[in-house]
Amino acid sequence: MPEKGKVLAEVKDLCKNFGVTIALSHVDFAVKTGEIRGLIGENGSGKSTVSSIIAGLQPPSSGQMFYKDKPWRPKDVLEAQEAGIGMIVQEAGTIAGISVAENIFLGNYKRFKKGPIIDRRAMVFEARKALEKIGVTDINPALPTRMYDMQERKLIEIAKCMYNDPELLIVDETTTALSQTGRDIIYKIMHDMADAGKAVMIISHDLNEMMEQCDTLTVLRDGVIIDNIAKADFDPDDIKQKMVGREIKGHYYRVDNDGYKEEVVLKADCITTMHSLLCFDLELHKQEILGIGGLSDCGMHTVGRALYGLDQVVDGQVVLTKDGTVVKNAQVAFKNGLGYVSKNRDTESLELNASIYNNIASTGYDKNNMGPFISPRREKAYVDKQVKALMIKCQNAYQPVRALSGGNKQKVVFGKWCADDADILILDCPTRGVDIGVKAAMYQLIYDMKKQGKSIIMISEELPELMGMCDRLLIMRDGEVSGEFFRKDGYDDRTLIEYMI
Amino acid sequence: MNATASVKTNDRELHLSLKERVEVIRSNRYFLMIFPFAMLALMIVIFGVATQGRFFKPSVLKGILSQAIIIGTCATGVAFIYSNGNLDISIGAVLGMASTLGVLAYNATGSVSVFVLVSVGTALALMAFNCTMSVVCHIKTITVAIVVTQIYGAITTLLIGGAGKIEIPYEVSSGMEDGGFRYIAFFAYFLFCVVIYHYTKVGRELRFLGGNESCAQQTGMSNAKATYISFLMTGLGVGLAAVFSVIDVSAVSVETGNGLGMDVMLATVLGGMSIFGGARSNAYAGLVGALTVAALNKGLLMVGVSSALIQGIRGVIFLALVYLNSERQKLLPSRVQF
Repeated sequence: MPEKGKVLAEVKDLCKNFGVTIALSHVDFAVKTGEIRGLIGENGSGKSTVSSIIAGLQPPSSGQMFYKDKPWRPKDVLEAQEAGIGMIVQEAGTIAGISVAENIFLGNYKRFKKGPIIDRRAMVFEARKALEKIGVTDINPALPTRMYDMQERKLIEIAKCMYNDPELLIVDETTTALSQTGRDIIYKIMHDMADAGKAVMIISHDLNEMMEQCDTLTVLRDGVIIDNIAKADFDPDDIKQKMVGREIKGHYYRVDNDGYKEEVVLKADCITTMHSLLCFDLELHKQEILGIGGLSDCGMHTVGRALYGLDQVVDGQVVLTKDGTVVKNAQVAFKNGLGYVSKNRDTESLELNASIYNNIASTGYDKNNMGPFISPRREKAYVDKQVKALMIKCQNAYQPVRALSGGNKQKVVFGKWCADDADILILDCPTRGVDIGVKAAMYQLIYDMKKQGKSIIMISEELPELMGMCDRLLIMRDGEVSGEFFRKDGYDDRTLIEYMI
Repeated sequence: MNATASVKTNDRELHLSLKERVEVIRSNRYFLMIFPFAMLALMIVIFGVATQGRFFKPSVLKGILSQAIIIGTCATGVAFIYSNGNLDISIGAVLGMASTLGVLAYNATGSVSVFVLVSVGTALALMAFNCTMSVVCHIKTITVAIVVTQIYGAITTLLIGGAGKIEIPYEVSSGMEDGGFRYIAFFAYFLFCVVIYHYTKVGRELRFLGGNESCAQQTGMSNAKATYISFLMTGLGVGLAAVFSVIDVSAVSVETGNGLGMDVMLATVLGGMSIFGGARSNAYAGLVGALTVAALNKGLLMVGVSSALIQGIRGVIFLALVYLNSERQKLLPSRVQF
């Protein structure tokens, strides 16, 4: 077993620029064997950048790296993998169209080659071993990856990464996409690795999780390391302050107990979908923040999609009670003042190659017109208002969205719906992968919308935010509502979990 | 947030590598607008020098303009289809059939208006048919285009008959030419396209759908409607181009429209547009590109390059531009963050 406490990987004076934007500025730090090192900071602070440079996803602009006492400059991910550095990325790292086994051995098919032919049986067999190694038995490696949901795909990525027995594992913002079971799997892997004298670097926005799981925390802000904190000195307020460089003011969630109106604005009347839902009922009231929680496969995401007309409703109907409009598809939904923030931000909520301007303007084609034409002046005002109000970190609004950090991308998504002034917003995991600074801003925004008389459905896998924000909370299990809780009555998370499982 | 300020103060200290500098220029939004014009200007200068000024003779320039106006009209129209993320290479065959029916209609009635109306109407109908095939039957537009190219070509050959050519009286074509029909019609169509493309809801929706269809649908846009509009806008342009091509040679033949699909594609990418659709699209790309293609064809011919070699050179330029223009996905998904 390797000796613990030895420096495994080290970066010295590392810098990275994207054009004129500085992502990392003279960063020094070392990861030691037997250690779980957390990287924490706001969106855009450089956490993902530094870890992806170590893992060979991109080269540094300048500076030195060392791995196992030798200079380290991987030319790509495969070289890093072979050297024992594995990384699980934040966004989907699997390809939907190919089988699970092919994903696990992507780029490594050579070993299964018999002449020009790939031995698929051997590959599937090995893939099954890889999955079993991390304790996953209910994924069939022979099936196409598209048949699995996001959580399962993450597990496939983890299996892929662990199959190579990495000595340094980098986990980038993965846990927010996982339910508790998935998280437990990953925590176990991390601690097993540390115990075996290997090392782990983890990036997460969940401060509680980081404080529980990590031995040391490195706080980054605007590409500079602010502090390294050992477990004994963990103090949430101190860490938060170091992350944002200012004191976080008192309230994170809303503190009021204001109710909502009697009037029902949106109603699901015994709806059945192809998957998940069978005769599901729901009523959303005016000025209500309605939370829906549960395990990730409980059907809550389908509820959101079905309400917005994205998943086919085969029986029953979704009705806007004001005028009896039936929401048959997303066009009807959009036209009648509904908005939807997808769980899959990059693939569904944004056009990544288009600019911030065009993404926000996309909800306003019917509002910024003069006769049949779009008025550039009104459109610009429409966009500028949101860019300013949400403090989107960008050089200008004509920058492509793809170049923004996760939190800033989500701000653009919120921006387009705020600009749209939708009466009913369906938010599916609205704060996935964003830091506490952005989260606080979004909670404030959601609360402001409620005060303006809008109705909001908030679907989330994070119980604290549901408890903190919702007037009424539905807990789902196996496609049905298993419990209903009211803000005015009060409840605790233990009760909720009982209804979830 | 104070980050913006710190980035600005650090600007002066930055040392960018050459590659990064190129990337900064490439992602500048004005660069994409200026680049095609610079290419055109460069080409004119090079050919001007290489031919010792013969390139600027009025007859040469007029020839270039004649060719450019046909390619440009089609390319301006087809930009709508490209930006919606579709491809259609049947426009050569559509143009052939539209001009044939137009000429037949003229010869039957003797009316210029009927000639124009039949040409444009035919092109619109054929493009609508292409579109219906792909929207209703869910066949890829490019597949439909390959099949209908054969069908339309066969029908045209049948209509034209054994002579391989049908003529219209020279007075008619020269009359239309002297009346400035081509320039007026082209500029009217071009302006119409620019306005639709940049300043109306449908134009914007087309581009957004081409960039990310599921995102666009969640924002209330309909792909079927946008696809129809893109094909009809193209049909209108191809119909006009069919009339222009008849004016050009006073006749229609089985060869009319051959190779036009490739010229139009080349013009589109030379104009700075991505044939993969989405945000990097604009309406004037076709016009600038068409001038460049026509100048390139003529210029190479004048400096003594054989026409077979010209084909090869155009192919290389096309591939190089598509390569430079495409945002390639890396094999493994990664995240660019700052």
